[in-house]
Amino acid sequence: MTSDHIRKFFTISFVLGFFAYLFGPLIIMSLTAFNSSAFPRITPWECFSVEWFQFLSQDAKLIEGLQNSIFIGLGVVALAVPLGLSGALMLTQVQERVRPWYYTITIAPILVPGVVLGISTLLFWDRVGTMFGASRESIFYNGFFLTIVGQATFISAYTMLVFISRLQRFDRVQEEAALDLGATHVQTFRRILLPFLKPAIASAAVLAFLASFENYNTTVFTIISESTLTTFLAAKVRHGINPSISALAVVIVALTLFGAVLHEVYQRRELAAEKESAKIAKGEQTKRRTTNRFILDPAVILIFLVTTAGLGTAYFAGTMGLDECKAQVKAERARVVQERVKKREQKTMFQEAGRQALTPGDTEDGAKGKPAPGTSNFQGLFSPDNLEEQAGTKNQGQAEDKPRAGTEQFQSIFAPKNLEEQAGGGSEEQKKE
Amino acid sequence: MVRYWQDFFRKNGPTLALYLLISVTCWMLLMIVLPQLFMLDFSFRTNVPPPQWGTEAHGYTLEHYQYMIYGSAQSTDSYNFVDLSVFGRTILTAVFVTLIDVALCYPVAYYLAHVAHGGWARLMVMALIIPFWVNELLRAFAFKIMFGSTGIINNFLVGIGILDQPFDFIRNGVALYSGLSYAYILLMIFPIYNAVESLDKNQIEAARDLGSPWWRIHWRVVIPHAKPGITSGCTMVFMLTAGALAAPQILGGPSSLWFTQIIYQAFNQAGNWARGSAYGIILLATCLIFVLLVMKIFKIKLGEIAR
Amino acid sequence: MSADVKLDQVWIRFGEFVAARDVNIHIKEGEFFSFLGPSGCGKTTLLRAVSGFSEPSEGKVLIGGQDMAGIGPNKRPTALIFQNLALFPLMMVWENIAFALEVKGVGLAERRKRADELLELIALPDQGEKMVSELSGGQKQRVAIARALAAEPDVLLLDEPLSALDLKLRQHMRTELRAIQQRVGITFIYITHDQGEALTMSDHVAVMSQGVIEQVADGNTIYDQPDTAFVASFVGENNMFEGKVSEISGDYAIVDTGSGQMRARKSKGKEQLSPGDQAFVFIRPESLKFANGSDFDNRIKAKILQQEFEGSFWQVFFDVEGSNRSAKLSTVNDGTTLAHQVDDQVELGFNANTAIATPAGDLAAE
Repeated sequence: MTSDHIRKFFTISFVLGFFAYLFGPLIIMSLTAFNSSAFPRITPWECFSVEWFQFLSQDAKLIEGLQNSIFIGLGVVALAVPLGLSGALMLTQVQERVRPWYYTITIAPILVPGVVLGISTLLFWDRVGTMFGASRESIFYNGFFLTIVGQATFISAYTMLVFISRLQRFDRVQEEAALDLGATHVQTFRRILLPFLKPAIASAAVLAFLASFENYNTTVFTIISESTLTTFLAAKVRHGINPSISALAVVIVALTLFGAVLHEVYQRRELAAEKESAKIAKGEQTKRRTTNRFILDPAVILIFLVTTAGLGTAYFAGTMGLDECKAQVKAERARVVQERVKKREQKTMFQEAGRQALTPGDTEDGAKGKPAPGTSNFQGLFSPDNLEEQAGTKNQGQAEDKPRAGTEQFQSIFAPKNLEEQAGGGSEEQKKE
Repeated sequence: MVRYWQDFFRKNGPTLALYLLISVTCWMLLMIVLPQLFMLDFSFRTNVPPPQWGTEAHGYTLEHYQYMIYGSAQSTDSYNFVDLSVFGRTILTAVFVTLIDVALCYPVAYYLAHVAHGGWARLMVMALIIPFWVNELLRAFAFKIMFGSTGIINNFLVGIGILDQPFDFIRNGVALYSGLSYAYILLMIFPIYNAVESLDKNQIEAARDLGSPWWRIHWRVVIPHAKPGITSGCTMVFMLTAGALAAPQILGGPSSLWFTQIIYQAFNQAGNWARGSAYGIILLATCLIFVLLVMKIFKIKLGEIAR
Repeated sequence: MSADVKLDQVWIRFGEFVAARDVNIHIKEGEFFSFLGPSGCGKTTLLRAVSGFSEPSEGKVLIGGQDMAGIGPNKRPTALIFQNLALFPLMMVWENIAFALEVKGVGLAERRKRADELLELIALPDQGEKMVSELSGGQKQRVAIARALAAEPDVLLLDEPLSALDLKLRQHMRTELRAIQQRVGITFIYITHDQGEALTMSDHVAVMSQGVIEQVADGNTIYDQPDTAFVASFVGENNMFEGKVSEISGDYAIVDTGSGQMRARKSKGKEQLSPGDQAFVFIRPESLKFANGSDFDNRIKAKILQQEFEGSFWQVFFDVEGSNRSAKLSTVNDGTTLAHQVDDQVELGFNANTAIATPAGDLAAE
């Protein structure tokens, strides 16, 4: 082992650790969506289930928030794309002297905290509304309008950056050429500039939509009485969590993955087309080979099929044996609780009996009992009612049949040491004797 | 000036010239400059109920800024320890989170740009984008699941016997700090990656050829080259962390308030918009000062940051 | 259709900088006219004023007798071929060519037909379906010409369109351009810094320097009868001697230089030589001879610095007595070896009618 090897080993472990840090939380969160447990977790695994997805689709407020988010996202796209485009086009045309100022002001919203943007938008339009004597039902107090405007303030800066980088590769002489050939300014814009900017417009639109869709800081101030997906999520997460949120995350992660792959495929195809053109110009190739330019790429079809099949299987697997499995878990839990009660009784008996004499069955019981109750205890510990108490949510209304002492005991059972102590309590006390 | 506008219209034609003028003016004035100015103005006014806004009762005052420092007049403390300490902790934590992110991202960015090659590197870079587009709230939620008292981390630590009691990561802020570091880490790694990647590999090899040890190559060649990227990443991460709202709301324990949460409370619970605005201005000013400071220290222009 | 172009007292200023100074030129219809000058001399600026991308600060541009003031580039009867061609990369070749028709609202079938005709004209039949990026440099060049011609301009403006091509292709395109011009018969205004291009193709050449038109004439006259020191030094190679005019007699001037008195034709530009003026005498290397006792109007003493053999030519360089500039002589290789060696002291001679005397002035940068 040279120092080079050691360094390489550390570097790779570091990078792997980094990626684990990036993806670990997301993977764990995604997995919790498929566990039937009422609290999002993966240990212990109860039953594979897709019921949280069904639960999700029935949440009317979620659906409403989602619809609002999509509506707002589209509104932001409609506002931020033209604004960003004009901002980028204007950049090269403002006087040299003014340009740094112009750039600073248009870029500033990216750096301004979202909270501040939300407040200032809210205040500004409120005051404008007052100036015009507008009623509380007017547009100046409308959560959708305010949110679209507030988000577009900084999202336009994002789209502007997209356009600027694309425009840097634009040969402005082309516009002059078109004008010279008799085109009007509008014709030139439509026929020369827009086709060139088409990919940038598409990515700016996607960027704007996603940025809007996931925005929380600004939205939470401007949305007023409406709700979006993010404000809904925030409220839900704050008021107690369940795996339907994980299920939602799975949907979002899956869509993102899908989008990323699609983007990659698209880019590769563009690259291939470019290479081909270069070859043709050099005379190495006479005809274009890619005939399927407008047909879906086989890779995309394949991904689509695999995804559909996977989802279908998951759905059936998650719904079919679910009830049985749940019944089993319930039975198991009941058994564990019972066993525990029994054991506690035994233990008390033990302790009393220990002072007097030894019963031969005890050691046996202890040894045998160690592994099995250990795991089941674990499971019992995580039963939803229990958990809510532990997680600090104030849902104590349903403490029901479980006595407080029980919880305390479970907590002490939790640590393996305690576990052993309890399970093998008899033998230890034996030694002491 | 007249000549400039004549040229402008001539160059763009009337339709496009109007489109450019109107949309840029709307964006800059109605969306960027005026709202900020109104907010600044509002933060200097007394807190009166909305119907009285703009009337004489709605006069100018410094009370909200004073409140931030001295607290309410009824309070027995000489300073507003609650808000000041939250503010201080927010800024310090943001700095801390920024430093952690740099330390985490630089080696990875370097690895992706210059050590890994081919399809793997490309795949990894692409994979980085995925967590970035997962909602901020959901990312915080994922950490809540992991760090919960019965979350996988506690289970694991207790399971292997390091802990004998589940540890309350949420209450003591560990969850919040890791969640915040996680939340904007990609805004750190991409600028650094882009900057490091643009470095000519030959430079590194030349340095190695001259017998420079690996740490010196980084210190003298790679880091100076990546400086704009690092600065850009630091600025973005600091600003976003200091202004974060979702992660503190979800991951913050009952005692660890975040400054944005105080602003949020002023607006949504206390109904004191004026104080909320004043606090917002304070946050904005602090962030701007920080950015200017970083730009000054590292001698970087704004244009290089927002790229 | 073809039209004449008239630049009438045109001044173009950018702030303090004067890009064109009192330009008066009349380009006749159907003519191949070149602006020749070093880069930055203002020729492209003039072209942009003709095509309508900028307006002259003073003076008028008239095309076909009509004042073009306030008329945008898309309304002028001109078409411009750009230095980098500016073909539209996202359109197919035929769409590029038919663009001028498309913006006029001509129907698809008609556009296609016209594009095919033009492709025929530029000898690129059946290439219409290609993308621009799939063409070679020379093909792009021809497409750019076809695209401009499709607009049916009265005047075609060309801004150094050959500069991106390699030497061989450039020479080929010269002939082709000239042929196309003669076929379509419209006015061509050609901008170049390459005198070879200007001299071979043009009916008339305007030589420009620092925003000023130095001389307008046909190629022959520009070469043999330069009006100014700049033209003499910019077009072709020239040996130069500095001196003072001592006498003017008819078409000739007698100039006292450090290397002796010289008689030369006097230049015919706006500024005329008179006795006592500072003057430059120019003599082309091919007009400079070894005196060898023959009779010459002017003789100079020199020492051979270097001799270079170039196949059909010998180039000989001298250190001239009484001048700090070296001189160059080129002589046809007739199969005999040169009679001189390096460091030989020789006498050189040239006749007055092959030399030209101009007023002292700015020279072209070497």
